[in-house]
Amino acid sequence: MIQKKICILGAAGVGKTSLTAQFVYSKFSEKYLSSMGVKIDKKVVDVDGTQVNLMIWDIHGEEKYKKIPTSYLRGSSGILMVIDGTRSSTLQTAEEIVERVTAELGSIPLLYLLNKSDLEDAWSISEPDIQKLKDTGNPVYLTSAKTGDNVELSFASIAKAMLNG
Amino acid sequence: MNIPESIRKHLTSHQIEALKPAWVELTSGSEHIKSMGGAWQVYFKGKPQPDQRISDICELLQGMLPIVEDFELPHMQLNNDAYTDILAFKDEQSDWLLFFDVTDKVLQLQKYQQVANELNLLKDQMSRTLGRYVGQEVSQRALDGKLSFKVEGERKEITTLFVDIRGFTPFNESHDAQEVMNTLNQYMNGMLKPILAFDGMIDKIMGDGAMAVFGVLPSDISSVDNAFHAALDIQRQTKATNILRKEAGQPILGVGVGIATGDAVLGILGSHERRAFTAIGKHVNLAARLESNARAGEILMDSKTLSALSDKPQCHKVSIELKGIGKTEVFAILPS
Ligand SMILES: Nc1nc2c(ncn2[C@@H]2O[C@H](COP(=O)(O)OP(=O)(O)OP(=O)(O)O)[C@@H](O)[C@H]2O)c(=O)[nH]1
Ligand SMILES: [Mg+2]
Repeated sequence: MIQKKICILGAAGVGKTSLTAQFVYSKFSEKYLSSMGVKIDKKVVDVDGTQVNLMIWDIHGEEKYKKIPTSYLRGSSGILMVIDGTRSSTLQTAEEIVERVTAELGSIPLLYLLNKSDLEDAWSISEPDIQKLKDTGNPVYLTSAKTGDNVELSFASIAKAMLNG
Repeated sequence: MNIPESIRKHLTSHQIEALKPAWVELTSGSEHIKSMGGAWQVYFKGKPQPDQRISDICELLQGMLPIVEDFELPHMQLNNDAYTDILAFKDEQSDWLLFFDVTDKVLQLQKYQQVANELNLLKDQMSRTLGRYVGQEVSQRALDGKLSFKVEGERKEITTLFVDIRGFTPFNESHDAQEVMNTLNQYMNGMLKPILAFDGMIDKIMGDGAMAVFGVLPSDISSVDNAFHAALDIQRQTKATNILRKEAGQPILGVGVGIATGDAVLGILGSHERRAFTAIGKHVNLAARLESNARAGEILMDSKTLSALSDKPQCHKVSIELKGIGKTEVFAILPS
């Protein structure tokens, strides 16, 4: 079976672990447990009749004094770049990470996930900001690890992009 | 360092044991196992055999081998509660992978990381809440400690605007709490956004209304013009809200606005933990009185505001008795 590695990246607390848990185990927890290092989960998806084993690297949040080691990225065929829609600071973090990822891996399939879409009242990312992300040419999805909205779709879409890329 | 041999032996064996190391020797420039040793059971389900490919046993290494240049994979959570550091390096004869256990260290670090991350989330949340009231830019400046007023007060001419929903109390009493909350939010949005858009600073939010001051935050436009345009926009937004609500079969409400201009003392009031920005001046009371006399959809302003406007709008002059102030000439605008 074809095996593909995906890295889930973003600032701390944006919902990387929650998105993975929703996708792999259909589970969600309100409780926040900061990830350390890397946890790997696997799930088989079907891309137009081809079975693909996704190896999902859920990586710790990027921070000012704790950058993501580029060694984690090696061998990755796709990136899910997660932004917390209720915290605009995480958009900036995402932009910095994308710059480093591109320098390391060149241009590989990348999706922007604007997560926590269920928290409409606290939403802090404006339309122009979203447009700027779309202008990079990478797809942008509004997701909720809590309700599961667009989660399956996002993973399916990165899988497809990796297979065709 | 001059360490007696027995101490050295003791220390190293102690340290090494704690790390539970395992190593895999690979044929140079390949993924094929030459030999292996150490506590492999901790890291692999089955014993790696010579000539097997290591990435078949340790899947996470897929796409990373052969080793081109030494690398390190810190804190790999191989199974639920254990963390492993993986080092990959070369020597003249072989390529090497070294695995060792760092669980205790990582669990310690996790505790600090947790506190730091939660603090950051809280800070973002505070900034967002504050941003709702004073605008994102001001809230960022305040959190960065860049927005300050003299504690003893600063005298300045400003324009003050009061806005309030007409007939909210009876609405509140006759509707379900959740519906009241949603309605309030909807109208409040239409009041606060224009204020922020025209460089106003929201001083207070009171139940179903707000007080805002113009001329405190820097702006390219005069405080009077800003306040007036914010008021027009508030009435426009309220109208738009009402159209939507009518279509949805929901009851509609209107807002009244009062604007006055004059000298005020700006300062920070209150104790250290609960300090609040305040503007104090005669015209502030006047603006409040004007607002309470304004009907739904109406803007009332004092003569000082009107005469300082760069574009004089169509308005009616009326003379009204204001509580605590007396008979006053005011100007009324009912935007169409
Ligand atoms: N309402 C809501 N909460 C979410 C969502 N996704 C994550 N959360 C919450 O956000 C917090 C952080 O989620 P995590 O998934 O642990 O975030 P993370 O990106 O893995 O964080 P680090 O591992 O520290 O980088 C948790 O309290 C989650 O319950 C979402 O879509 N909606
Ligand atoms: Mg996590």
